[in-house]
Amino acid sequence: MSLNEVWEAASASPFYPLIAKDSQLTVGFTLLLAAFLLTGLFGLNRSLLSIASFGVPAALAFGFGAVFMICAVGVYV
Amino acid sequence: MRPFTALSALCGLFLSASSFVGADSTTSPSRVALPRDFKPPQVFKNANLVRTSNLEKGYLRETVNVVVENVDTQPQSDYYLSFPSDLYDKVGALEVRDKTAPENGRFDVEATEFSPGSDFQYFIVHLPKPLAPSSQITLGISYAVLNSLRPRPAAISQNDRQFLAHSFSAYAPSAYTTVTQKTKLKLPSTSVPDYTTTDLTSGPDPQRQGTTYTYGPYDTANVAPGTFYPINIRYEFTKPVITASLLERDLEVSHWGGNLATEERYWLRNNGSKLTDNFSRVEWTISSYQQLPSSSIRELKYPLKPGSVDPYFTDDIGNVSTSHYRPGKVPNREGSLEIRPRYPIFGSWNYSFRIGWNNDLSAFLRRAVTGADSYVLRVPFIEGPKVAEGIQYEKVVVRVVLPEGARNVQYETLEKSSSNGLPSASQIHSHISSYKTFMDTLGRTTLTLTVEGLTDEARDSQLLLTYDYSLWDSLRKPVTITAGLLTVFVAAWAVGNIDVSIKKR
Repeated sequence: MSLNEVWEAASASPFYPLIAKDSQLTVGFTLLLAAFLLTGLFGLNRSLLSIASFGVPAALAFGFGAVFMICAVGVYV
Repeated sequence: MRPFTALSALCGLFLSASSFVGADSTTSPSRVALPRDFKPPQVFKNANLVRTSNLEKGYLRETVNVVVENVDTQPQSDYYLSFPSDLYDKVGALEVRDKTAPENGRFDVEATEFSPGSDFQYFIVHLPKPLAPSSQITLGISYAVLNSLRPRPAAISQNDRQFLAHSFSAYAPSAYTTVTQKTKLKLPSTSVPDYTTTDLTSGPDPQRQGTTYTYGPYDTANVAPGTFYPINIRYEFTKPVITASLLERDLEVSHWGGNLATEERYWLRNNGSKLTDNFSRVEWTISSYQQLPSSSIRELKYPLKPGSVDPYFTDDIGNVSTSHYRPGKVPNREGSLEIRPRYPIFGSWNYSFRIGWNNDLSAFLRRAVTGADSYVLRVPFIEGPKVAEGIQYEKVVVRVVLPEGARNVQYETLEKSSSNGLPSASQIHSHISSYKTFMDTLGRTTLTLTVEGLTDEARDSQLLLTYDYSLWDSLRKPVTITAGLLTVFVAAWAVGNIDVSIKKR
């Protein structure tokens, strides 16, 4: 099967990203803001329970938020 | 410290979970070594040969249609294409097809090692089926010859007309005896101050019809192969001879951003006549205002794919403001990026610059139906400006930067029933490596393709590429950042728990 046949066979399934280009800034900013607030809440009470309740969500929000934000500003990673 | 151990183990797992793609794989075009003073065996005869030399652009584009007959007693499958030694390294985008069935695809062509003492160098055409004794096949051979047209006079004034000279042999170079042959020249204009006339035919030679000059037909059954009969022709070409000594083209695929970023870096040169005097800004302004034809590069127009956005045009100094972009419209209307270099580029002048733009990835990338994590990418091999005078590229390096973790990369160029302007796959140098940039841990899988001797005829050629890329590969970036921040939180908690008070224990 030539690669052109693979291309033609896949005509019904173009690739779309998880978050469209137009929404990247909003999503990225929201997630980074959430990460900032959750980090603040973790900072108020640095206990093992806070890591689970605030630290983990903050880290996740920062991880995905950073990826969307860098895409939103034009550095497509 | 137990949480630290757990975290570092987790990070280690993230980073090593999938197979590395850094393993280099390289394919280089191979050349066949021929013995010294090699002469191709005389097993073929060219029954009829028609050579068409197209000089309408700034490079020579030749098409040779030749009826080949096997005169040996055995079936033969290797046809030797001969080129004069001074042209051999300038030949690009060579393609050989069966003229009667071009849709069957191109024949396999191998280059041979350059033999220094020989007048002729050879390409070997491998016929897909050996040609039986006394049977014939019609070969359609097409190629471009770069940097073979010389400006004459070599130096002119700023507003003078420019002329190019083309020298060739009236007898097409061939390794075999040719029974009849003729050469057609297609010139860009009727302004042809000098051309050689011959007495090889009973009538006038060449025959002129508009901008077409025809040398022959000649009966050359008794002329030894490789006989040289010099023909010179000098014609007007008051346009720039645009040459890119190097074009680097980067295509960056981003799954997270849904973006295909293209950047092209050009090292341009004008191979036209040099200026006899210093450049005059006043004369230049007057001739620009009157829109007189000029031998300089004044402007370049790039048709961009529909949906191209964020174009930029910079050079060593910085942003060049003399550019204009007309955006296209999805799905059909192309965008147009018009750039004016900082200065007009006259003969032997250079200019290097870069341009770039973005596209939505959905028009170029599809999920392959062959595998759940398999993707197929289809992108133009080169784009480049579209100008009437054409462009010759001495070397083109196309780099496709795939997402981090992509593997099983396979590629091919799209073949059509006519020439796509590219050489055969065996003449393309490919290399897979890893490229580290923003937010990368492993580095992005990068396919680098290097081709020498291209022209703007390869503009419409397509590069197809498949690769595997799992969900886990795509999550590597956010998960790595998440793990990093989580480590900071755990560290903050752990440091906070250390008792540093001064008291009795």
